[in-house]
Amino acid sequence: MAATGRTAPAVLVCGETRTCLLPSFQALDGRAAAQLLRLRADEQVSVSERPNLYALSPELLTGVDCRLPTANGAKVRAVGTVASRAALTEGRVLQAGAWFSVPAAGPDTRRPWGHYLVRPGLVEPFGKLPEQATAQGVLRGSARGELDLGMIAEGLLAQLLRHPLLDHKAPFKSRRTHLRWVARRAPAGEGASLERFTLAEDGLRTVELRLPEETPATAAVGLCEDLALHDWLLTTLVHMLDNSRLGAVDGPSAVLALRPAVDHLLHLWMPQAHVERTLGRLWDVLEREPGFTRQWQTLVQRIRDQLAVQAIPLLHEALSTR
Amino acid sequence: MTEAVFQETTAQPRTQSVPLSHLSLELGHLYMEDFEAGPERLREHFAEVRIWVDAARAAAARRTGGRRPRISTCFLIDDYFTRFSTPAELVPVVLAEAERAGLVVDYLARESGCAVADKIEPAESVMHRLVESPPPGSYGSRPPVSETGWLPNGQRTPTSRSAMGEVTGWQPPQETAARNHSVFMDVELWSEKDGQRLWSCPFLAAVWQLARLGLLRHLGAPVLAPRPWNGGDFPHDWDLLPPLLQLNASAAPFSAYRTCTLMPNRFLAVEDAVRLILDQVDVDSGALRQVAERSAREGAAVPAAVAQRATYVFYEEPTDAVLHGET
Repeated sequence: MAATGRTAPAVLVCGETRTCLLPSFQALDGRAAAQLLRLRADEQVSVSERPNLYALSPELLTGVDCRLPTANGAKVRAVGTVASRAALTEGRVLQAGAWFSVPAAGPDTRRPWGHYLVRPGLVEPFGKLPEQATAQGVLRGSARGELDLGMIAEGLLAQLLRHPLLDHKAPFKSRRTHLRWVARRAPAGEGASLERFTLAEDGLRTVELRLPEETPATAAVGLCEDLALHDWLLTTLVHMLDNSRLGAVDGPSAVLALRPAVDHLLHLWMPQAHVERTLGRLWDVLEREPGFTRQWQTLVQRIRDQLAVQAIPLLHEALSTR
Repeated sequence: MTEAVFQETTAQPRTQSVPLSHLSLELGHLYMEDFEAGPERLREHFAEVRIWVDAARAAAARRTGGRRPRISTCFLIDDYFTRFSTPAELVPVVLAEAERAGLVVDYLARESGCAVADKIEPAESVMHRLVESPPPGSYGSRPPVSETGWLPNGQRTPTSRSAMGEVTGWQPPQETAARNHSVFMDVELWSEKDGQRLWSCPFLAAVWQLARLGLLRHLGAPVLAPRPWNGGDFPHDWDLLPPLLQLNASAAPFSAYRTCTLMPNRFLAVEDAVRLILDQVDVDSGALRQVAERSAREGAAVPAAVAQRATYVFYEEPTDAVLHGET
């Protein structure tokens, strides 16, 4: 959880990631993805082609001076910068997220702005940080006037969705998800762990992590983006199968309803593709229970079986007219 | 940790470094009115500046612990707000008057190079990097600078009508970093005319400071790289002159850990605005790290805040009486 600049180490990192289908008829190639995510004219977009096409924007900063969200109503003013960035996977799934780290305590007065600017993504509390209450407050969501990660992530997403590259002709309907996460420091000598993943309503998911002190905040961001991406894929595919009314409607319309999954989603499943190696194993917990990949494979198999079943009469027809 | 076997260059952006002096010393900034006042104005300017140049050199030497500091000098000509004369006519006069005062101009820059240089737009890039100092109560809403084109050092006077439509009394603006009382400042960064953006003088000067501090990059590559002068004639069109020209082949590097700018005291407000801007720019983190590491290694560690690396000498401007020998 290291932050740059000479300052107390962070004991808590909080973030929120929003995930949605890119509203574009065609998936973007690497070059177009880089164009979309060029949030700063002079800074490179990182584009990776292995093991899948993945573009990552430069980080932006937003200055804040407000109360931290706290579950117990404690009023803690904090000043600093919230970092945000966007990622595009296979030119198809867009993610925008914001995060900040907090040290255990900070000075009682606001320092010159330059002090905060050289500590990107760090927010310093006035006095002592109520760690547990802040973590719970972030997961619960901000009240009015409190530091609002969702607002910053949403602002970035809205900015990207206005880009002229996008034709707003999404190939199918899907819902956005947002994943709120907190990472508290792991006890000395213990490794990283995923303590809880909660599937809440209205597309909200929450994740609680424990990370060793030396883990950079961006590693946690990367892990949570990866979790959010795959949770969105599962959510979207389940939803699509629900809507296709398999077995209830006639063959061709079921095929039509499932076709977008084949065209746009099935190749996207690749857990840990861009997660730091030290955190990759945190996936294991979710693979055991509830078994993310197991569910995905079942869904994919179901779609393929359905398409095969629908193809048989067509094949039969073709052979008989020969 | 072991290094990864597989690497992708486009996935690991890198920042190129630039050579760095200890001090970038600006000998002057020429506007049309200075030029129109004739070579005597330049002569007076350089004679005055010479005194402070010696002082700035001595200060830099003290900072390097007696070792000979690397100091480069530069001179900026405004070709952005008004176009006047030609390089062929003007540059030799500037160089001759500097030489008369015992000064050498190592690098010559055009102000428009801070707006557009070699098809890159440094001013636009810096604009994208503004991170406004949040007034108390900012919880993540969109900062308005990109829409308004104005950057303050605090909270403006609220508009006289509240959201409910009733007229309220005047309320003062508030400087965020005020000590007891506010010195509120609001800086215009650009204006628009016929769909064209005109950058303000303080904003271009802030870009100029960042260039001199070695903190500008475009996709990881240095911006405003000096081009050597072949010793021939200067062109008859400003556009044909490189944005940054190295006149002295043996000069120390253009960019430096610190800058010192010598200028008449009428520029005080502009330079105060430059500091306000520099205080709210999130500069390239790679470049920032390179400068911090190298300066520390040389025992001349830079202040963390970028605006603190720029110093100034404001001198009394020569009056017409002095220029024309009247007493």
